[in-house]
Amino acid sequence: MAKDNIFAGLEIGTSKVCVVVAEARHDGTVKVLGIGTVPSRGIRKGEIVDFETAKRCVHDAIVDAEEKSDVDISEVYLGITGGHIRSFNNRGVVLLEDDREEIEEHDLKEVCKNACDVSLPEQNTILHTIVQRYYVDGRDGVLNPVGLFGKQLEADYHIVYGIGNRIKNAIRCVKELDLETTDVVINSFATAQAILDKNQRQLGAIVIDIGGGTTDYVVYVGGAVRQSGVLGVGGDHITNDISIGLKIPTARAERLKIEEGNVNLGTTRPDETIVLKDETGFAGREVEREVLNQIIHARLREILEVVRRQIEADQKSLDLVGAGVFITGGCSQIRGLESLAMEVFSMPVQIAHALPIAGVTSAFENPQYATALGLVRYAQFMHMDRPAPRSIFGRLKRFFFA
Amino acid sequence: MIESKAMVQLNRQYERSYSLEEPITIKVVGVGGAGSNALDRVMLDGIDAVEMVAINTDAQSLAASVATQKVQLGRSLTRGLGTGGDPELGLAAAQEAVEEIRSVLRGGNVIFICTGLGGGTGSGAGPLITQLAKENNALVLVFAAMPFSFEGRRRCQQAATSLAQLRSVADAVVCFENDRMAELALPRMGIHEAFAAADLTISQSIRSIANLLQHPGLLHIGFDDVCAVLRNGDARALFGYGEAEGENRAHEALTRALKSPLMNRGELLADAYHAVVHICGGTSVTLGEVQIVMEELNRHINEQTQIFMGIGINSKMGGKLSVSVLSSLGDGSVRAVQPPPALHAIPYQTLPAPVPDTGPDPARATVLPDRARIAAGPVPVSVAGEGDHGTTGPFQPPPKRAEVMQAEPASRGRFDKGEPTIIDGQNLDIPTFLRKNPENR
Repeated sequence: MAKDNIFAGLEIGTSKVCVVVAEARHDGTVKVLGIGTVPSRGIRKGEIVDFETAKRCVHDAIVDAEEKSDVDISEVYLGITGGHIRSFNNRGVVLLEDDREEIEEHDLKEVCKNACDVSLPEQNTILHTIVQRYYVDGRDGVLNPVGLFGKQLEADYHIVYGIGNRIKNAIRCVKELDLETTDVVINSFATAQAILDKNQRQLGAIVIDIGGGTTDYVVYVGGAVRQSGVLGVGGDHITNDISIGLKIPTARAERLKIEEGNVNLGTTRPDETIVLKDETGFAGREVEREVLNQIIHARLREILEVVRRQIEADQKSLDLVGAGVFITGGCSQIRGLESLAMEVFSMPVQIAHALPIAGVTSAFENPQYATALGLVRYAQFMHMDRPAPRSIFGRLKRFFFA
Repeated sequence: MIESKAMVQLNRQYERSYSLEEPITIKVVGVGGAGSNALDRVMLDGIDAVEMVAINTDAQSLAASVATQKVQLGRSLTRGLGTGGDPELGLAAAQEAVEEIRSVLRGGNVIFICTGLGGGTGSGAGPLITQLAKENNALVLVFAAMPFSFEGRRRCQQAATSLAQLRSVADAVVCFENDRMAELALPRMGIHEAFAAADLTISQSIRSIANLLQHPGLLHIGFDDVCAVLRNGDARALFGYGEAEGENRAHEALTRALKSPLMNRGELLADAYHAVVHICGGTSVTLGEVQIVMEELNRHINEQTQIFMGIGINSKMGGKLSVSVLSSLGDGSVRAVQPPPALHAIPYQTLPAPVPDTGPDPARATVLPDRARIAAGPVPVSVAGEGDHGTTGPFQPPPKRAEVMQAEPASRGRFDKGEPTIIDGQNLDIPTFLRKNPENR
């Protein structure tokens, strides 16, 4: 990639592998040049379980994106997810030496290092640190401390960690295709970049991405990420439930979910049935619509309730969310999800997709691309802004390529 | 042309009062508070020649009852107070009074037991009293009221457990769900009217069955016919009663009967194996009206269903025409009449969540008030010392309907290989609808 301001975001998802190539303009907007997408195989619950197959899918997706955008991709921003990912908040402190009064860039790296100096469970490494806020000499509200006078620099970080080896699989996959991983980003965070505008982040918002293999969520309060998490449950579970419950093959269940899926209970006439056509086109079996809806409803309700419980574990969060809940991802398209979510969370809910971007128009309207588009937005943000997170790559190098 | 597979016994002496060789003794028993209320209603509406028995732990309620015979449970255990909603206490109190209960039930050929489930006396003592009633080979028909779902999980569970036990002992159980009370009364009506309407429904059903048995009409339905209808399958009974007058009374009366909350809107009638239809009216009943009723009814019924039709003439009805429909669900396999099991054979225990490998129907496990299925569904009952009933397990609808979900033991489907997702101690790979039971909601 010759130009500095063309970025590629790669999301290796459970139902599809998606590559978005976009150009970041100087006026702050992003223009999508092309999107390559390929149905995913070898990936379960967001993690690679069959390396060769997954690699082939990624390769195909990259090629597809390159053709559509007419750009040679050499480095990507990689989105990661997985049920093993956990997160917590921590504060770091750095005291300037006596002879210094001005805060410099390397102090930001120091304070981040200090915040990350925690003992993690075995095999776990820190994957992503997201700065929440800075304090200079105890004073809050500092946006960029570089250049300010002060003696003590503190910073709150939202630290995401997970099992290192699982992430290494994805990075190696990319490497073996002769691509560089510029940065590794947690999917939930990336999605939020695409979905929320500044105002919504400031008011407080919850973004839930219900994908094929995982449900990723992030909670913003006062403009900063307060909580995030990943559940190893997604659309595939709904399909599985339908397949087991109605005793139909998975592929049929998947089609049924997409075409007829509805979360609303009690809206069907009793005995209203859906006729499943068999291979010859003739009417095969009949299934009761209400039963299908109940299966889907039970699963989606559970997913939302688990997310809610996990968010509530940090007591105040839910009260501080002003803009409500935004649901995206492939499963957000299931009819009736909005009202179910409103019931579970007791706050306004929107089924969301990425905010409008220039370029391929339909791209941003498809909630399945939200994460990959978010990666590109993140790339743009990183490129424009210089503070602490730049150092993450250095940290990653240490952890993964040692 | 009326198609009926019943034998037509025309009784030519209908004007005269007809004394049967062996008069059938009918007893109506109210168990617990709700049961006593139903009993009082039956008395109020008027019924001929039945014996009324009130059985309760609460002495005050017992004293206020209009029943001629009363039994107080747990004289020394609860001492005239109620059970406080504890079914185990209810059972123990009943066990204390076993001989009294026996003596008061003796001699009954047909015993109606009315009770409200969910509390202590009805749920706890009900099954035992039913068992005692069966001892003399009487026909025992239980009318059970199920609590409102807003009364809470605990009461609903207690009610479900008792219902299952009642079903295993009684010949038939007609279940009235309080949640459906809204269908009887307009929301604006006073709540006492709503409850009164519920009592009225139960009273109507008791009275019409009693009527059908006691007053042989133009076309007679015998005691043995009713037994044949009720003593089969899994003892779930449906009852509908409708009354109307005026020009279109035949059609209207049948419609009302089918809409009755105890009839589940006529849906399940299609699966019934037997049905008893009793048309009663004043001397103005015409053959045409009978035809209308039967033809319309036939539309709701499966071809295989065996219909017993009865016609009664009662001049006290005046211009009214009433239609009663009584049927039971099940596959028609005859239940062996059980020798009464040992007295301690029905211990009360709150059952744990349905075990997957006995195949409870998960769709019915979630409580949906306007669904035709009764909330508890087939729940395994542990009754020590009792052999195989001959019941055929979970109710199987006839093949023409959509296939019902069956639970598979803890299957993870495509997630069978691979690391399970465990959150809060639950394996989320197992389908949610399998793991959900009335406990979690």
